[in-house]
Formats: sequence, C-alpha cells, structure tokens
Amino acid sequence: MNKILISDPTLRDGNHAANHQISVQQIAAYCDGADAAGVPIVEVGHGNGIGASSLQLGESPIPDFDILRTAREHLPHSKLGIHVIPGFATIEKDLKPAIRAGVDVVRVASHCTEADITERHIGFAREAGKTVFGVLMMSHMASKELLAEEAKKMESYGAEGFIFMDSSGHFLPDDVTERVKTLLDVLEIPVGFHAHNNLGMAIANSIAAAKAGATMLDGTARGFGAGSGNAQLEVLVAVLERLGFKTGIDLYKLLDLSDLADRELLKEIPTIRSVSVVSGLAGVFSGFTKHVYRIAKQYEVDPRDVFFELGKRGVVAGQEDLIIEVASDLARKAKASS
Amino acid sequence: MNERADKLVREDCRRVLDGREKQLAALKGDTLFITGGTGFMGTWLAEMLACLNDDFSFKTKVFLMARNTDKFQGVCPHLAGRKDMTLVKSDIRRLSELPKQTHWVIHAAVTPDNRFHSSRPVETMSTVSEGIAAVIRAADPCSDFKKLLNISSGLVYGTQPWETERIPESHVGGPVMGNVASVYAEAKRYAEIYCAAARSQQKLPVVTARPFAFVGPYQSLNTPWAINNFIHDALNAKIIRVLGDGKTVRSYLYGADMSFWLLRILVDGVSGQAYNVGSPDGISLEQLAGLIAEQFDPQPEIRIQASVPAVTQRTRFVPDVTLAAEGLKLSVKTPLKAAIKQTIEWNKLSRSTAVAV
Repeated sequence: MNKILISDPTLRDGNHAANHQISVQQIAAYCDGADAAGVPIVEVGHGNGIGASSLQLGESPIPDFDILRTAREHLPHSKLGIHVIPGFATIEKDLKPAIRAGVDVVRVASHCTEADITERHIGFAREAGKTVFGVLMMSHMASKELLAEEAKKMESYGAEGFIFMDSSGHFLPDDVTERVKTLLDVLEIPVGFHAHNNLGMAIANSIAAAKAGATMLDGTARGFGAGSGNAQLEVLVAVLERLGFKTGIDLYKLLDLSDLADRELLKEIPTIRSVSVVSGLAGVFSGFTKHVYRIAKQYEVDPRDVFFELGKRGVVAGQEDLIIEVASDLARKAKASS
Repeated sequence: MNERADKLVREDCRRVLDGREKQLAALKGDTLFITGGTGFMGTWLAEMLACLNDDFSFKTKVFLMARNTDKFQGVCPHLAGRKDMTLVKSDIRRLSELPKQTHWVIHAAVTPDNRFHSSRPVETMSTVSEGIAAVIRAADPCSDFKKLLNISSGLVYGTQPWETERIPESHVGGPVMGNVASVYAEAKRYAEIYCAAARSQQKLPVVTARPFAFVGPYQSLNTPWAINNFIHDALNAKIIRVLGDGKTVRSYLYGADMSFWLLRILVDGVSGQAYNVGSPDGISLEQLAGLIAEQFDPQPEIRIQASVPAVTQRTRFVPDVTLAAEGLKLSVKTPLKAAIKQTIEWNKLSRSTAVAV
C-alpha cells in the first residue's frame, strides 16, 4: 500500500490569507486538533516563512519564537515544520533559534531557478540533525528538466526530500505528472507536491502527483492559504484513502479540525475569484491577490490586467513592489489613450 | 594540527608500507608534481612521501599545487614547512609549465564534492577538461618525464547495477547522457579519453585511477556523505541518522592505503590501463553505523529511516579491484573497523583545529 506523508501548512500558507495575523490562541487550538488527528507534519509561521515578517511582506504581531513555542507545546506527537527562504531567514537570527525552539522539519525554499541559495541553510539544518526538505516555488516557471536540475542541487546539499510548489495554481494534472516522473528519474530522495487552487485543480493535481510516484503532499484545512487557497486537506485525505493511499490520519478528527479552522481561523473561506483564475492563467504567485486588488483599486485599473502584466514580467514572491509599478503604468497608458 | 594527530598519520603510513617501500623505489631521487596537492588525496600522498623520505631516504622532491595553499600552510604546517615539499599556488587551468626536472605527475585537482558540482557545473567541467589539457601540455617538454597518473572517478561507470556486487574496470556503462547531474562523471570520462589521445599522439605514458570512497584523517566531516555524517553525529554525541532502510551498500578504503595504492599505480601501473581504487568489501549503511557507534562509550543511538519521509531507494558503490590486486599486488591493509577507529581518534585530537582541506 502506498503511503503518503502529509504536511499541513494551514498555519503558514494560511497566514497569507490572514494577513499574517493568526494569533497564538488560534495556533494552540489548531495544533491541538492536528495532533489529535495524527497529522504528520504541521508547518507554522509567517506566510513567507520564518524571519519574513516585514512591512513589505506583511507584519506578524507575534514573534516567530512565540509562534514556534506555542505550536511545539501543542504538538506532542506531530512534527513541527517551518518554511525557510534564505534571504528572509538567516541562519544565526532565525534558523538557530527555531531549531532551539524544537522544530523537527526544516523546509528550505527558493525560487524554482535559484536552488543555489539554499546550500548553507540546508547544510546547517542537516548538520543540526533535523529532517530537511528542499522546496522550489513557482515551479511552473521552470521546464521539467530545469526543475530536476535545481532539485538535484538541493539533494546534493543534503536535502532528504524535495517538494515543488505550484505557487500560482497554474498546473494541470498532466503538468504535474510529467514533472514528478522527471524528478523521480533524477533524484534519489522522495518527491512531494504543494498545490494551489487557482484553476480548481489543487486536489486533481495532488492526486496526479501521488499516482506518478510522489510520496509527500501538502494540504490545508478548508484549503486555507494564499490566493484561492491550497489543496483542501480533508478532501485530499479522503480522496487518497478512497484511492488506496494511506496517510495515517484519522479522517473524522481531521474533519473536526477543518470545522474548527472554519470557526476559529478563517474570516472567509478561500474561493476561486475571477482574479484568481487570471492569476493562475498568468502564472503569478497567489499571495499577490490581496495586494493586486488593493493597488488596482487605488490606481483604478482592472486587476486582471495587472495580473497578466505581472505574468509577462515573470514576477516572483518578494517582488510585491512591482505591483504598484505595473498598476501605475497601466493607469498612465489608460489615461494617455483616453 | 597537533603533534599527536600528526604522529597518528605517520604511524599509519609506516603500518601500510609494512616493508613494501621497495615497491615504490622508482620514486627515489625523482621529482613528483601533484595537482590538487592540498585536498584529501593530495595531503595523504604528501604524508606518505614524507614518510618515505624520512624513514627510507627516498629523497623524492614533491611539488604540491593547489589554488589555496595558504590554508594548507595553516592546517598542515608539518608538511608545508618541509624542505622536500614545495607549494605551488595556481589554478590548474592556468598551469603553463612544470619544473623541468619533473619525472612524475599525479593529477588530482578538482574537488569530488558533489555540492560544488551541482552549484558550479561549468566550473567543474572546465576545471577537469582544461586541467587535464594543461597538465599534458606542461608535461610534454619535460625530458625525463616518466608517467602521469590521471585521477578519474568510480562515477564514470554510472549507476552500479544492484545485482553487480563489485564493479570491474571492464564494466560497460556510463553516466546519464546530457544530464547536468552527470557533469563530474562525464568530465572525468572526457579526461580519461583525453589521456588516451595524448598517449597515442604524444606517446606520453599515462595511467588512470578510478577512486571510489575513502575514509580517514583530512576528510571534512561536513560533507553530506554517509560515513562523514555518521562520524560527525557520533563525535557530537548525537543520534546517528541513517536515511532509508540502511541497506544501501558502500565500501571505504583508508587514506593511508589509498596513498600507497596511488603511488603503486603511478610507478608500476600499465600505461593506458585504468585501475579501480577502493575497498572491495561492501558494507551496508546500517552495519557501517554500527561499526562507528561501537567506537563510543556510551554508544550513540542509531536511527534507521531517520528522515520523516521513507526513503526506499538503495544503491551500491563497490569496486572490483582484481586488476590492482593481481597486477600490482595491492591489498587492503587497514580493515574498515581500524580505519574508522583511526579517523575518530584523529578527529578527536584535531578538534580544536580546522581540518577540512
């Protein structure tokens, strides 16, 4: 029976949807439920990972250490995971304290073509005896061959597993299948997939990944995550079980957890808004959605045009300031042509 | 470095020589130029040659070439400060000439660290391909030149089939073509065939060594390779983490044995021949972890499938060394258990000093 290792980044990716305002009480409550349900890995922190709280990316009212300490206290069985993007997170200031706080799983991430920047962070976490995964974001921006080459770098640095993220929800199932197969041909470590739901494909894509040989999948309660959200965890687990994959998660307790998240965590359930469809088609990071809405309104331009223009420019997470530039350009052009 | 650590290495050289110094007598009074002279391999070669000079009056002049000789001076002052050793600071690609009296060359430049190959594939390929060309160009005018030992890699065989217990030099296989993950192995294949071309066209005597895996002093414990990780974990009183089910098979030759093998292949290896260099005694990673753990009291815990995701892939990397054993009478003098013991002891003695060269 094929086993799938589930990671739940509700309290990390969901922080994008919550403007990074998830409280310690919400963290405690959610972790209690996740631990009881047997969720193997619970990932917490700022949407862009530890050390990323900032004016530009969104400020979290809670220091990383408090988030980690709270989660650790409420996860007696589940592994505690963090998302680490070198540049936002430094080894001294962020990674060392996180490991001291009891983190079990360190997921070191970069843009899909920049695996080189992860070497030191992967090496450090590995040396600290933690399980380390390499993560490549915005993976639709790299061919499957290039993605495999970048993943191979992470493996050589010491990553014990590799996960590719469909950060803008751009993939269709065949895209995922061929990437997983290419990765498995090249890598000696397990492969995982993290979906976004812009085109309503998060579950289908995750299942395609599993059928192609991926053994790690991400899902969030009610799909709580950036933009139109992630693969909905309770649905993902139910479908996997129906297909004969084992997750080790208690489905009833997971459903209870989702209800809890619905009550305690979500101000609004992620939906596929029109602009999310555009973001998925344009291949732009889902986490940009709120910013695009706000800035498009400010400059009186169509947010869909903003997304397509951002897609043409190949923007990546961390380049939120380009939204203003794009909206401003569009507004200027509109004014000139009127 | 401290004297006790240096003494441990010297005693290992003496033990491995074990009356066989006569087999290296061709080196007496000659000049040997070693590229990559400050790496794990180069340092062990320097140790063995220093022992031959001190104990058996070989009077061999040794040149150690590397990009960063300053670091070596700090880490190995007992070698760097010797009158019979000369440090040459240069990038192998910029090597234009050898000392005129050079008789022998061991070309060991290029790090085997796969992290470097992954991050710097172009530099990896250019260092190997331009490096071998530079060495052969530089060796050509040396009137008394005797032989070049080209250090290749066991990776030129590609993935070892699981059902092949030991991989012989005659194995027909290779790295995955056109894949950037193959840059090091492909570059080494290129270097091998470049040597064959030079042997044919320039009549330059060239022999090739294909190293497998090693253990011993001077090996950095920070590289993400199984044996280094296990020793590192144990030295730091941590759990020894075995990824996967522990059934992956490797073999390890001790540094002192390796240096003797390489010098033997240089001296008596048949020009045009490639020789596997490594231990033929495969060991599973689970057993390896056990061997390391039993060197400590209290023994560290060993955790199989230590990573959260289950790793199911098993690989094997073990050489068939019949050619070296029968042709050059080479054998493993340091059993793995003793090799591990010495490595741990040396690292304990050297802990206050940086050892990664």
